[in-house]
Amino acid sequence: MNWKFFGVFVVCLGLFPLVWPDPYILSVMGSAGIMIIAAISLNLLLGYTGQLSLGHAAFFGIGAYTSALMSLGFNVDLGFGITVQVDPKPVWAAFATAIVVTAFFGWLVGKLAFKVRGAYFVVITISFAQVMRMISLNWTDLTEGPMGMISIPPLSLWLPGEGVVNLTSKAEIYWLVLAVGVIAYLLVAMLVKSRQGRAMIALRENETLATSVGIPVTYFLALAAVISAAIAGAAGGLYAHTVRIIDPDVFLFIYTVTMVIMVVAGGKGTLGGPVVGGLIFGLMPELLRGVVQPEVQWVIYGITMILILLFLPRGLVPAIYDFIAWVRTPIAIPVRESKRALSAGAKS
Amino acid sequence: MQEILQHTVNAMVLGSTYALLGIGLTIIFGIMRVVNFAHGELYTLGAYVAYGMVALLNLDFFSSILVAATVGMLIGALIEFAFLRRKDLKNIDEVMLIMIGIMIIMQNLELMVWGGVAKIIPTPFSQDPISFGDVSISPTRLFVFSIAAILLFIFYLGIERTRFGLAIRATFQDQDAARIVGVNVKAIYTLTFALGSAMAAVAGALLAPMFVATPLMGDLASLKAFAIVILGGLGSLGGAAIGGFLLAFIEEFGASYISSAYRDAFGFLVIIIVMLFRPQGLFAAKERVG
Amino acid sequence: MAMSKRLLTSLLFGTLAATPVWAADPIKIGVSQPLTGAVAASGNYVTNGAKIAAAKINENGGLLGRQVELVIEDNKSNPREAVNAAEKLILSDKVPVIMGAWSSTYTLATMPKLEEYGVPMVVETSSSSKITKAGNPWIFRIAPTSAMEAQAFAKTLDSFNPPIKKVDFLSVNNDWGLGASQEFEKMFKEHGIEIGRKETVAPATVDLSAQLSALKDTGSDTLIMTSGVEQLTLGIRQAAEQQLPQRIVTTGGSFPEPLLESPGPKGYTSSHLLFFSPWTPESAVHPEIAGAFVDAWNEEGYSFPGLSEGFRGYDGIMTIAAAIEGAGSTESEAIRAALWDVQVKGVNGDISFFKDGPEGKESAQNEPNVYVVQLKDGEVTAQ
Repeated sequence: MNWKFFGVFVVCLGLFPLVWPDPYILSVMGSAGIMIIAAISLNLLLGYTGQLSLGHAAFFGIGAYTSALMSLGFNVDLGFGITVQVDPKPVWAAFATAIVVTAFFGWLVGKLAFKVRGAYFVVITISFAQVMRMISLNWTDLTEGPMGMISIPPLSLWLPGEGVVNLTSKAEIYWLVLAVGVIAYLLVAMLVKSRQGRAMIALRENETLATSVGIPVTYFLALAAVISAAIAGAAGGLYAHTVRIIDPDVFLFIYTVTMVIMVVAGGKGTLGGPVVGGLIFGLMPELLRGVVQPEVQWVIYGITMILILLFLPRGLVPAIYDFIAWVRTPIAIPVRESKRALSAGAKS
Repeated sequence: MQEILQHTVNAMVLGSTYALLGIGLTIIFGIMRVVNFAHGELYTLGAYVAYGMVALLNLDFFSSILVAATVGMLIGALIEFAFLRRKDLKNIDEVMLIMIGIMIIMQNLELMVWGGVAKIIPTPFSQDPISFGDVSISPTRLFVFSIAAILLFIFYLGIERTRFGLAIRATFQDQDAARIVGVNVKAIYTLTFALGSAMAAVAGALLAPMFVATPLMGDLASLKAFAIVILGGLGSLGGAAIGGFLLAFIEEFGASYISSAYRDAFGFLVIIIVMLFRPQGLFAAKERVG
Repeated sequence: MAMSKRLLTSLLFGTLAATPVWAADPIKIGVSQPLTGAVAASGNYVTNGAKIAAAKINENGGLLGRQVELVIEDNKSNPREAVNAAEKLILSDKVPVIMGAWSSTYTLATMPKLEEYGVPMVVETSSSSKITKAGNPWIFRIAPTSAMEAQAFAKTLDSFNPPIKKVDFLSVNNDWGLGASQEFEKMFKEHGIEIGRKETVAPATVDLSAQLSALKDTGSDTLIMTSGVEQLTLGIRQAAEQQLPQRIVTTGGSFPEPLLESPGPKGYTSSHLLFFSPWTPESAVHPEIAGAFVDAWNEEGYSFPGLSEGFRGYDGIMTIAAAIEGAGSTESEAIRAALWDVQVKGVNGDISFFKDGPEGKESAQNEPNVYVVQLKDGEVTAQ
């Protein structure tokens, strides 16, 4: 990865609200950003360990619900005379709790689900998300059921000279999402470049071989699941405190599918993939809004996804790299080399 | 007691359609190793075809089910022919993602054509329930159960007693060996996908008159089909049939005696439990899953 | 890079500059309704009613010399999408006023956005008491609250034979259903009627058999059902299949219209609380307005029973139109001030607002009329 390019890209994104302060555009960018963070987390599992988790929205939703519940407080009767009461906690503490709780669920699901592979793994992750949705829909005392949780407090920040400010304006939310996004990106980047990351990639490429050279498969898969879940939980918490309303539909399969599309289109197993895919599919609805109806939009999504899978199965980012490499490679070089080879051949 | 009988009757009706749904999915997986995410959309398609035939074209209810089966079969064959024939698609994940793409496209086309409002499919049957003592069943449900049971029986005969069934079973067990003994595996693929799709469509056409047809009904149907298939063991035909009835019984009795709100959650809880303790499914022979 | 950035900036400002406001531009009115999802039928009816109102206004020369344009946004039967819809309407389409959002849950979710951006919303359907008690001064509700509905129903208690002695509830588990069952329970208790079992159901559930079989042996004579068109239809059908002994009364103004075409078992009667009875427009407060609306609806070829909800959209848009006319402006603040003074002859009856909720930031509430109709063998009779 080209760090200079990354820096320029982040600075450009950071300056965006100053260049174009339209609140609607910023709100669209903010929502896309949250989905990109979720996609980055999915990419760790899907792209680097090769496990297709189709229940990823569950981690996102658990993060959102945990953070909302902790910041609003709750009082719930568990039956058998046991009641659990939690007073409203500071928002950042709630946000941190959400990350820890989702990490735990990531560990749990990882430990249970990685006993199986392929189609079985997919189905178990889907089932997990469905059970979570049913609980959030029906445990009305805790989650407010289909009414959703409203009036979730925003995240706040201490600024020199300004004191504690609530991050509620579209620009503030945009920067907040960008900051969390950059952290998530760097975290994944560091991880996959580390020893652990190489072990994960080895697993993806050939699990049997990796096991035979002594890589503890379950440990690395669980590690990837924990980190991936924690980042998805952070995205969920961010969602809860910026949109400030959540409901059981955050667990819907279609949200997982959206993340998968972003990762696959961008290029799974590449750091830039989820970002590029996320920008395209996160902003496409707004570009198409007013041009075509939402159903047509989704049809276009579906077609794009299939086309990418059929013709660019590695995704856009690798394709772009290939293209750049192809452009940069002066056509003369191979010719010269072949000439030299020819002349060398002639001499000998 | 009569309450238990009533629940049993309800579960049998539901189970018969679930079995159709599950067999459709498992035959495709067993033979082609394709996890068909579009299965629920073919189910929805069947429901809407039935609706269109009955409510808009005034066709009779019985023929509409036949039409639904035919349309399901054609669309299934089309999907197989257009997307799954490519040589470079060896990775099961990629095929899964393509099926998800098809799912999205089909669902939204349905939404465009029919709108978001639920459709009620009129049936020629009286709404007066048939009672046996305290146990009652509506004529529509009785009809649904009979048709589903007949189809399951025909399917069983077809697989066990015909040359085509033999070819399917052979391919099921060992593709390469089947090819060697002269089975046209390519044709079997297309036929399998068409057959599985037709079963989903029939399940939709049968179940929708009991409830409603909505463009999003396929989401839950797909997931339930997975549950059924996992229960019975991926790729086991008999297992899928039993799994269908089992899921219906779990749902019906769970909803009645544990919690009505969690009706749709029981199936998924069971999947998770089965996966943990007997991942090859309840009825399948041992298969490598890890 | 620098070059492309300059290009980008000029492009961005270019698009901003390219949208001047013409005096003859139509007046935009936002509509947030569930056009897809669990309660899509109702949302489409309300939207159709709103379209008829807009067409009528434009036929008569528009408002303030300008045409009216409805910007319709689908809130997908989901509270989060309702917030999205409101933000799109306010920030992207710049509508000065909204009508929405059908379900109480969607309305409650939308309300903070109204306050944030200072845009008034005419609430055409939602009935939860929370809405006007929340202290949101941008809310103008023309729909009756569940409490009003319960009181209206109390007046008809004597007409039931055999009399109502014990009631069960089957409610959708959201603000609307739970709120309605609370208000009705209160009313029944005041009238010395016993309360039996209370069952709830998630909005998108289609198989209600478990809930219904739990209600079978409660010994109650009446079941109060609160939900949308789809679930009411399924519930009544499945109750008949299971031979539930209770009579069914539905609240909330939705009518299970599919039962007209494929009715339940012979002799099976259900009662429905409606806010407009299209079968008897002559019994409305303003028969000429109700009659004209019914004619316009039929002319469009919309489904006839949809009128029982379609009128909400019509009355809502007419209320907004009167406020814009009264304000003489399309500023949100002016429209809000003018809404307090409207006197509209609507399909339901006279629409005007009184103050409700905490002092200083009251919401506005209207006192609409409630009708009870009976459905038997696919035939509707007014009570």
